Amino acid sequence: MSARIEIVGVSKSYDGAARAVDDIHMTIEPGEFFSLLGPSGCGKTTTLRMIAGFEMPSEGIIRVGGQDITRVPAHKRDMGMVFQNYALFPHRTVRENVAFGLRMRKMPRAAIAKKVDEALAMVALTGFEDRMPGQLSGGQQQRVALARAIVIEPRVLLCDEPLGALDKKLRQSMQFELKQLQKTLGVTLVFVTHDQEEALAMSDRIAVLSRGKVEQVGTPTEIYDRPATRFVADFIGETNLFRGELVGTDGAPALRVDGHLTLALPAADGLSGAISVGLRPEKVRLTPGGAGAQAQGTVESANFQGGHVLYRIALAGNRHVLAQSPNDGSGAPLAAGTPVSLGWTPADLVILKD
Amino acid sequence: MLSLKVGRFLYLAVNWAVLAFLLLPILIIFVFALNPTPYIEFPPVGVTLKWFDKFFASPQFMSALLLSLEVAALTTIAATVLGASAALGIARGNVPGSRLITAIMLSPLMLPAILTGLALFQTYVLMDVGRPLWGLVVGHCLVTVPYVVRTTLAVLHNFDLRLEEAARNLGASPQRTFFEVTLPLIKPGVIAGGIFAFIVSFDQFPVSLFLVSPGQETLPITLFNYLKYDLDGTIGAASVVSILLAALVVIGLDRTVGLRSYVKL
Repeated sequence: MSARIEIVGVSKSYDGAARAVDDIHMTIEPGEFFSLLGPSGCGKTTTLRMIAGFEMPSEGIIRVGGQDITRVPAHKRDMGMVFQNYALFPHRTVRENVAFGLRMRKMPRAAIAKKVDEALAMVALTGFEDRMPGQLSGGQQQRVALARAIVIEPRVLLCDEPLGALDKKLRQSMQFELKQLQKTLGVTLVFVTHDQEEALAMSDRIAVLSRGKVEQVGTPTEIYDRPATRFVADFIGETNLFRGELVGTDGAPALRVDGHLTLALPAADGLSGAISVGLRPEKVRLTPGGAGAQAQGTVESANFQGGHVLYRIALAGNRHVLAQSPNDGSGAPLAAGTPVSLGWTPADLVILKD
Repeated sequence: MLSLKVGRFLYLAVNWAVLAFLLLPILIIFVFALNPTPYIEFPPVGVTLKWFDKFFASPQFMSALLLSLEVAALTTIAATVLGASAALGIARGNVPGSRLITAIMLSPLMLPAILTGLALFQTYVLMDVGRPLWGLVVGHCLVTVPYVVRTTLAVLHNFDLRLEEAARNLGASPQRTFFEVTLPLIKPGVIAGGIFAFIVSFDQFPVSLFLVSPGQETLPITLFNYLKYDLDGTIGAASVVSILLAALVVIGLDRTVGLRSYVKL
């Protein structure tokens, strides 16, 4: 029932303007929850629309289940789609909305009724069959859209920021439900979002896009812990970015950021010239006073966030570093002006491509 | 507080004045049609239906009424199909210069209809086609299509294209998508345009003036000719009948195909 999607060298440009999507390669495995993540204008929605068949790639090939569908019209692609703002047919009842795809497939009436009932039960909307979409709340419309997409048992389910219009609480519970539903159905799901937390929470794998190009493809932990580029490190979560000249030896490379700060790097091959590294705030250990750690500084401000405290530490040379400490219940956060030493291991530093 | 009351009073007074200005002439026609005297008299001296008898007994008026209804029906169908298609083409076709095309489509509204009638008359003479019924319908279409284009463009302007994409995604061919989703959703605009088309055609005078053949005249032309020699309550009766017929058609269309809808006009 689920299918592999292969995107091979796909580009899209409009009227010779800059490429909205630029030479994208990716393979989405059968049954995978795959997110396209990036800021607006990064090409994620255009990519999804090309998979759905609403846009034709200017170059490249899209295959689903091994079959080239690049030129197959949208209505013959057999994919379910959940739209941003749902796109429910306002002139049809919930039942008619969900039945639409089955009716197009010329399924007998009785079978349609049974399938629609099942799909509505799956999204917990039994009893809403005869309502019009305008009479439903946002969350209910969302469920109808989902039921309408899955009732046709598509090989692939496409979701274009489906949870964007919901409030935070509802969004979280829908995240769980959608993920659960996807697992139950075993369907390949392509999920477009600009919300990095959502992508990290739900995806099996994520493709981070920027300006029409793929920056990195990986599991949520890979993307977070080992970002490949400056953009990914900066876009996903908080990160401290350092840029400097490579010094030291092959066996013990180091990065000279400025006259006050030189960072020991993890051993790596092929390093040369100017390099960027990223360091996650939660990898920075703070010790009041002290010396002998990687760097010394003073607490500039402390931002108490409940489960943890986010510190802004001033280093010598007018440089700042973010450090995150878990709230261990030991009392008030460190006061501003407290001298601290900062510690991390070289392996916590991630070397980033520009 | 006082100024608020005065303001409210003035507001209501102006509203009632406008309403009276719009409706009084119609009321006078009703009085005229029901009054026994063969001239306009106020206050009325009695109530009679003899003018209606005379109107319905006149073969001349009856054939004119039937012709008017026939022309209006044909015009409504043709103008609705043409106007809605044109609006769809303008809004969706990706045609270069669609603004200019819209302006041209709407231009018959700016032009004095009498010129349209005259121009068509000369064209038909040059083409040597005589004065056929279709010629009259074409003339009426020319002045009614703009209404349909306008009202249909208005609904298309607010149309969410993702609804069509959703239908395509669910397996509907482009044709199927049009009939299942697009048409039902633009229907209120199309029907509103169709109602305009019917009324404008049914009441059409200047265009018809040039295009009817003698002895085969529409109701407004027949009324005008009658007025030239006679003035009695028959005119009033004819006016009342045509007002009621027009209202009946509008209400009928509204009830059957529906004007009000989930889509805001």
